Amino acid sequence: MAAEGTMRPGAQATQLALNMKLIAHNELAGFGGVGEGSNMQATKDGRRILWLAHESAPKNFTAVDVTDPKSPKIVVQTDLPHAKVRSNSLDVVGDTMVVAYQTKEWGLKPAGLDLFDISKPEAPKLISHFDRSGPSSRGAHCVWFTDGEYVHLTSGAPDFEPSHPKDDQFYQIIDVRDPAKPKEVGRWWLPGTRKGDAEGPLPRHPRFDGGYRPHNTNTYPQRPDRVYIGYIDGGTVILDISNKAKPRLVTRWRHSPPFNGFTHTVMPLFNKDGTIIVTDECTKDNGEDWPKLAWVVNGSDETNLVPVATLPLPPPEIFTKRGGRFGAHNLHENYPGPCSMRSDHIVLGTFFNGGVRVYDVSNQLQPREVAYFVPASPPLTPKGSAQINDVFWDDRGIVYAMDRFTGGLYCLEMNI
Amino acid sequence: MLTQESRAATRDVLAGLIPVSIITGFLGSGKTTLINRLLKKPEMNRVAVIVNELGEIGIDNDLVEVSSEQMMLLNNGCLCCVLRGDLQETLRDLFVQRRNGEIIDFDRVIIETTGLADPAPVMQTLLTDTLLLEQFRLDCVVTVVDAVNAAGQLDQFQEPQKQAALADRLVVTKTDLVTAAQLDALTARLRAVNTRAPVRLAVNGEIELAYLIDVGLRRTRADLEEVERWLGETDEHGHSHVHDAAVQSFVLRFEQPMSWASFTQCLDVLTALRGPDLLRVKGLVNVEGKTGPMVVQGVQHLFHPPLELAAWPGDDRSTRLVFITRDIPRQTIADLFAAIGAVGSRATQG
Repeated sequence: MAAEGTMRPGAQATQLALNMKLIAHNELAGFGGVGEGSNMQATKDGRRILWLAHESAPKNFTAVDVTDPKSPKIVVQTDLPHAKVRSNSLDVVGDTMVVAYQTKEWGLKPAGLDLFDISKPEAPKLISHFDRSGPSSRGAHCVWFTDGEYVHLTSGAPDFEPSHPKDDQFYQIIDVRDPAKPKEVGRWWLPGTRKGDAEGPLPRHPRFDGGYRPHNTNTYPQRPDRVYIGYIDGGTVILDISNKAKPRLVTRWRHSPPFNGFTHTVMPLFNKDGTIIVTDECTKDNGEDWPKLAWVVNGSDETNLVPVATLPLPPPEIFTKRGGRFGAHNLHENYPGPCSMRSDHIVLGTFFNGGVRVYDVSNQLQPREVAYFVPASPPLTPKGSAQINDVFWDDRGIVYAMDRFTGGLYCLEMNI
Repeated sequence: MLTQESRAATRDVLAGLIPVSIITGFLGSGKTTLINRLLKKPEMNRVAVIVNELGEIGIDNDLVEVSSEQMMLLNNGCLCCVLRGDLQETLRDLFVQRRNGEIIDFDRVIIETTGLADPAPVMQTLLTDTLLLEQFRLDCVVTVVDAVNAAGQLDQFQEPQKQAALADRLVVTKTDLVTAAQLDALTARLRAVNTRAPVRLAVNGEIELAYLIDVGLRRTRADLEEVERWLGETDEHGHSHVHDAAVQSFVLRFEQPMSWASFTQCLDVLTALRGPDLLRVKGLVNVEGKTGPMVVQGVQHLFHPPLELAAWPGDDRSTRLVFITRDIPRQTIADLFAAIGAVGSRATQG
């Protein structure tokens, strides 16, 4: 019967949903591959614009008017200068947008970040480009920008020579108070990753060497003196940035090995239990690097992080066969801006072919799955399944899930 | 709904649960015809129906897409499956298969009981099984009553009487085969057994869908209309006046808030002494120190875990409890509440 797949031929292609309802789908004019940059702008004329960074060339970013989330409309879609660069990540504060640029090879341009004036979303106006290209730099993979003053950046730099090619990006604080002239004011790298460091060489992951680089570098107004970093194979890193010129290590927690590395996002919930959600990123298809999990960590004592649970996922023996990647990746990051929902106990994550899934972690020890949405396989997807890459939950309660390849944008209502 | 800055806001624990309807009724009462008709409604396109035997459900052939011994897929998106082991196991399996993408994303479950079944254990499973409470909620007990044979069956057997007594909704079938006088007599008889469940007549199994679904509380932010739909008439004068009837239903109201400890003590005593005869209890309790009312739902000796509504629906903040009992008069329970001192004031006299 159904368990053997005989009841529903092609069942893997169908939509799966619990307490989430698809209210609109937009394939983004045929460029439905979205990276991991999504943020919402409230324009002065009363519109809601969702800005999305694309996963890869040819498109740079797309702005979608979601004032009526049942009828999303593309406002603008921009192109990258060439195929060896991707934007992947962006953030929006007021009418200013920061976009990351990462090249496929060292030495190429543009590598770094752009600042745009998006007061007219239809016509983003470049304010400045902050160049991070260099002989050992691919530029920037990820930006975090919440206060309008400093960009927290994962990037290489012209003066940084890594001790291992995979360790070519590090944490940087970029002062953009004068958006026409961004400047670096602080940096931190995991000791041993820069050529000449006294430490090292660092042991590589025995099976999946993802490198020692930051991925997400999150800060929150509740702890302006902290940055929470998913440091890929370096694990979870919390830095004291009360002195931006000299970030200082507060804690580092590694769960790989024995797990399979690639720590991606570290998100404190600032709840009474000190819960921190830490995600891995699944980077291999068909379960090759399973398990890639979203960890529930007790961070009551930030110097001694203790994993207490993982967010429950449907069975890997089924989902790793649905095509493409299956495992943890991005979270809705409780972005501290006017258009973002924030919760200290509801967590939304993306799990590639596991779709977007929603958890209640009020009981830290027993997180509960309360909703999910897995789209039907988008047409022309190279993986045979949807690969939900990123998620944004707006202050109106609408959830936006984005596909990595062809699916584009899914607007969802949640009943929880 | 969570709001942007309401960090203390909690998830609505009822909102995401999948509603379960129980369709019960004596042998030959027309349960399968009713289910067949329901499944043809356009809104009922993602329903999982649990039956005892697939052969018995008699789904129209033109509706069946694929069938195996255990499960039948219908071309409108629904599925029928056989009750395996116990209900808990079947519902858990269904949920797991749903999550795994092996079956449809059903958004409603209908359980058809056998004609001779006592629906109480099915209800108890749904109200008290901690695993199922995470995913499902009891929405409605629909009891199908055969206009031709019901009068005799109600006299002769215990089951149909209990089936009628436990119902949230009564549906009378085969009404075209009896006279108006016979129908009136049956309706009066059903009213005596179950004062609060509305009675509707079905012709060829046809009945308005809205009558049968979304009866139970489906969110903790329920408004007055939703609460009244679930609880029915709670005017105390509406209680059953058929004094010789073994099964009776009535409402108790208390104007003053009570402590949760006293209230549960009353229920403990009642269930310990008369559990089997306490057929069904549902209502709202005004508990000291709580913002919203506590929801009470029980079947015989088992009760749903305590659940607080976000706010009082409407101005009436009195405790109101609907009881359906067998041989327990209203006064006995009112006296018990008074004796235990659950309330500062006695139950207001109806």
